[in-house]
Amino acid sequence: MDFKNILISVDASDNALRAVDYAATILAGAQGVRVTLLFIERAPNRDKFENEDAWLNQCRLDHDRVFDFLTKARSVLVAAGLPAEAVSERTVLCSAEPSIAQTILDVQQEGGYGTLVVGRRGLTKGEEFLFGSVSSKLVHNAKNCAVWVVQ
Amino acid sequence: MPESVRALVERFKPAVSVRPYGAVFTNTSEFMNIGYGDVIDLGGKHYLVLGDESERRFGMEDPKFWVKRCIEMECGQYRILKLEFQESFDQHIGPLTITCHRSAAKEARILRLVAGDPRFMQGQGVKDSGGNMVRVLERVAGRRLDLNIEDIHTSHREYFFDVYPGILERYMAACQAIHHLHQHGETHGDIRRDHLYVDHKTGDYCWIDFDYGYDSVENPFGLDLFGLGNILSFISGKGVHAIQDVDTAALSITEDDCALFFRHRVVNLKKIFPYIPEDLNRVFMHYSAASEVFYETVPELLADLEPCLDHLRRA
Repeated sequence: MDFKNILISVDASDNALRAVDYAATILAGAQGVRVTLLFIERAPNRDKFENEDAWLNQCRLDHDRVFDFLTKARSVLVAAGLPAEAVSERTVLCSAEPSIAQTILDVQQEGGYGTLVVGRRGLTKGEEFLFGSVSSKLVHNAKNCAVWVVQ
Repeated sequence: MPESVRALVERFKPAVSVRPYGAVFTNTSEFMNIGYGDVIDLGGKHYLVLGDESERRFGMEDPKFWVKRCIEMECGQYRILKLEFQESFDQHIGPLTITCHRSAAKEARILRLVAGDPRFMQGQGVKDSGGNMVRVLERVAGRRLDLNIEDIHTSHREYFFDVYPGILERYMAACQAIHHLHQHGETHGDIRRDHLYVDHKTGDYCWIDFDYGYDSVENPFGLDLFGLGNILSFISGKGVHAIQDVDTAALSITEDDCALFFRHRVVNLKKIFPYIPEDLNRVFMHYSAASEVFYETVPELLADLEPCLDHLRRA
């Protein structure tokens, strides 16, 4: 694995932005680094919406929010000194199975990423039981790569 | 009211007093206006409304205006009609607040998935003329499991060695039923002890009410696993054991012995009932405040319970 081939998994949250900020600070001035901003897209639960229009509207809002986030994240990395051509974005669709964490790990393995960066929400034990934690699963299951978990 | 429907009401109206010849509804959007004596015309069948269903919890009666007790007049059978009522609301689990939604589409989908499967309530989703997904449900011929257990008037020891193994075995089959939903990408969504019934004839367990849903999360089955643990604790303890009901000092019960989300409920049941085997108690402790490892799937839970059941059978 190439540790300078870096995958930052983001979800348009403040935690993800902290992870991007951290990576930008650490990687500023580093030579030969390539960064991929990865967003795992999962459609909002259709059952929650009264009709198709309401659901599609939410999909559009989510899509716009992520687009804006990726644009901002890229600018943070480039402003820190990474060459624009060294930063790329990728969106991968994910249904309920496999989990988001597993999808991230699949991308990491396929892309030969040696470093994986992710933000952490700081869940309580109860929240982790009920909802699960992407960062915990990544730490437990990642192979052949360094995992940076940014709180 | 049309003559044809009037004739059906004449034939099938129950012996109890019912306002005769109410309105006929083909669109159930305004379900608050549909009351006893009215008829819901749905999918070519006519349902005479007897009243609203209500839920009894903590000694309070909570009317559910969107759930109608009915008679299907073409066959004279009792039916429950759940009318479409899409809502989101906050659900509180201990200190956590979770946004939950009620989804008719989800329940109709699950009814189709489990058609003919006695481990689940039976029925079907039918759209009314307003496009609402109405669920026409058959009456579950049984009684709530928790009420059955509360009616067992023996000591816990007698219950645990004589009755509990049979209950645990059937409960594990009910857990397997939940796994069946998970395998198809569905969740029950509202696993609680008053949603599990015992069939009068077979004694097997039957789940009801699948209309709750939640936002997608990393651990999609966490809430169901949480519910299964609560029921497991109830059936194993022959009820809930709150810290105020036990001598915590004498039994050395601490916060770590209590449930992760309900800090007043003891889940370390071995401290109250020392004859509970260690391996079974370890399963309970995965739901305690002290636990660092939680069940994420039903097979994980069942894999731990199966040897416990074997031990109990041999004891």
